[in-house]
Amino acid sequence: MLRVTLEGAWLLAALPVAEPGLAQLISQAMARGMIVQGRPSLRVQIDGQALQALDTAGALAVLRLIGQSVQIVELTLVGMQDHHARVLTLVQQRLPQLEEAIHAHALGWRARLGASALGLWHMLKGHLAFFGRVAEAAWRTAREPRTLRTRELVTQLGSTGVTAIPVVALVTFLIGVVFAYLLGLQAEQYGANIFVVDGVALGMTREFSPLIVATIMAGRSGAAFTAQLGTMRLTEETDAIRTLGLSVEQVLVLPRVLGLMLTLPLLVFIGDLAGLSGALVIATTMLDLTPMGFIERLHSALDPRHYLIGLGKAPFFALFIAVIGCRMGIDVARDTRSIGIHTTSTVVQAIVAVIILDAIFAIVCQKLGW
Amino acid sequence: MTEVVIDVRGLTTRFGQQVVHDQLDLQIHRGELVALIGGSGTGKSVLVREIIGLHRPTAGDVQVLGTSMWGAPDAELARVRRRIGMMFQEGALFSSLTVAQNIATVLDENLQLSPGLRDALVQLRLSLAGLPAEAAHKMPSALSGGMKKRAALARAIALEPEILFLDEPTSGLDPITARAFDALLTFLNRDLGITVLLVTHDLDTLLGIARRVVVLGQGQVIADGDIAQITAVAHPWIQSYFSARKLISSHGT
Repeated sequence: MLRVTLEGAWLLAALPVAEPGLAQLISQAMARGMIVQGRPSLRVQIDGQALQALDTAGALAVLRLIGQSVQIVELTLVGMQDHHARVLTLVQQRLPQLEEAIHAHALGWRARLGASALGLWHMLKGHLAFFGRVAEAAWRTAREPRTLRTRELVTQLGSTGVTAIPVVALVTFLIGVVFAYLLGLQAEQYGANIFVVDGVALGMTREFSPLIVATIMAGRSGAAFTAQLGTMRLTEETDAIRTLGLSVEQVLVLPRVLGLMLTLPLLVFIGDLAGLSGALVIATTMLDLTPMGFIERLHSALDPRHYLIGLGKAPFFALFIAVIGCRMGIDVARDTRSIGIHTTSTVVQAIVAVIILDAIFAIVCQKLGW
Repeated sequence: MTEVVIDVRGLTTRFGQQVVHDQLDLQIHRGELVALIGGSGTGKSVLVREIIGLHRPTAGDVQVLGTSMWGAPDAELARVRRRIGMMFQEGALFSSLTVAQNIATVLDENLQLSPGLRDALVQLRLSLAGLPAEAAHKMPSALSGGMKKRAALARAIALEPEILFLDEPTSGLDPITARAFDALLTFLNRDLGITVLLVTHDLDTLLGIARRVVVLGQGQVIADGDIAQITAVAHPWIQSYFSARKLISSHGT
């Protein structure tokens, strides 16, 4: 039998100071042979006559200390006040499950890698399933055009399109300026100033403007869709839509997807104009070209297929941005933190998707000789 | 009489023109388990927030464990706050941490314990609050409403507070879970000597565990005492509150 006598106040606040001493106590007792190695099974008696105060943390520390050196077969409590005994009994009952619970979890790095790979796979599968539902809703709307939510669509055209014009125009104008300036530096050395127009016209309309505008819209509208739908999901509005017999895809998603598919080509066109204007400013102020000369050269150098390809890519970019944004919004879990995580994820996914699509377009166009 | 741990004197709270508390006085002694009730808009939750120093009253003073919550320097306030625990109505768990981390953080911020003892203590808190072991490593968002309340209580008692405040601890819980919660509060109060002040609408909690009930109304304490004393008060709100209960029990038997 092991007899333990408790004195003084065993409280949580005192444990940080007391803990190192307790560990020492055990090792000293072992060294002196007072405790046998290998945790023998013993009956334990705790004497609490001189115990002044005890809380659950104190009881836990005492019982863990005893448990480290012996296996408690039977615990008897003597001489202590009733409520101290109740605390000790309660903690002693819980002790076995605590140790189990601590060792129950902790995934290794392989498990975590696997879990995140599976997570990515499930997300992509979810995107595809969602895309299918949106396509189905679009098909139903095409057959019954009355079901199109025109008011929502117009709202979306306003918020994703009209209000985006200033930032799109500013950014593409500056890109046009920088692009023309860098090309001009090279061309000037060969006296080939006029070819700057060729380079800017082709580069801006076919690649830069669609890509840059799509990136802006991924950050602006894609993130907004996720935040909007995510909040609606949090407040159970999306559930309310479903219980009213309506389709979330038709009411919320389709107007956003269609809206962005309509506005993105228009914004790309504005981007084309702004980018070329930027180049015009550099060409006339630094490269000794006249505005008329710039426009005449533009007319002969810029084959329509270049800007048509640029404009043609825009609806595809828009489709991916809008579908990813909406799906991530609807996928938000029931907590506020999830909205932030999903919004970030939307922007990253949408930009990656846009760049991958652009690469595919580049390869296809090249194979077709466009 | 034992030491007064919460001392509210001349407390007045106004929101614009609306007077919520008008010269309210309330004393709570160590070891009491007090339920605060009152109709909606009588400022129960606001009173608790004023006592723990989250909402500044328009006038009056609140002393908790001998410290003025609206006059003491910050360092002293921080020391007092470590001696009290608060369980918020919606749990207010940190959503970016797991349940276990929610509790471990509170311990780590205040005490230097060995990891072994700290983890055991976290599990003990969860176990005391009645949470299953597998809940420890879940995110708060993955928990049901009742589990969130339990996790919130586990965090509130992490530091073995001397006073525990609870805002509607049993609201939204099923009756069985709610009664288990009551039993837990009784244990904390009786065996660990924690003073408990809870805001509640739950009549079963009131009749089951509250030894003292404080009724707020018209900006004042309109009744204060045990259940028998409270039901004897001829205030219309109190009478209708408890008659609803009589109706239920007479139908039940």
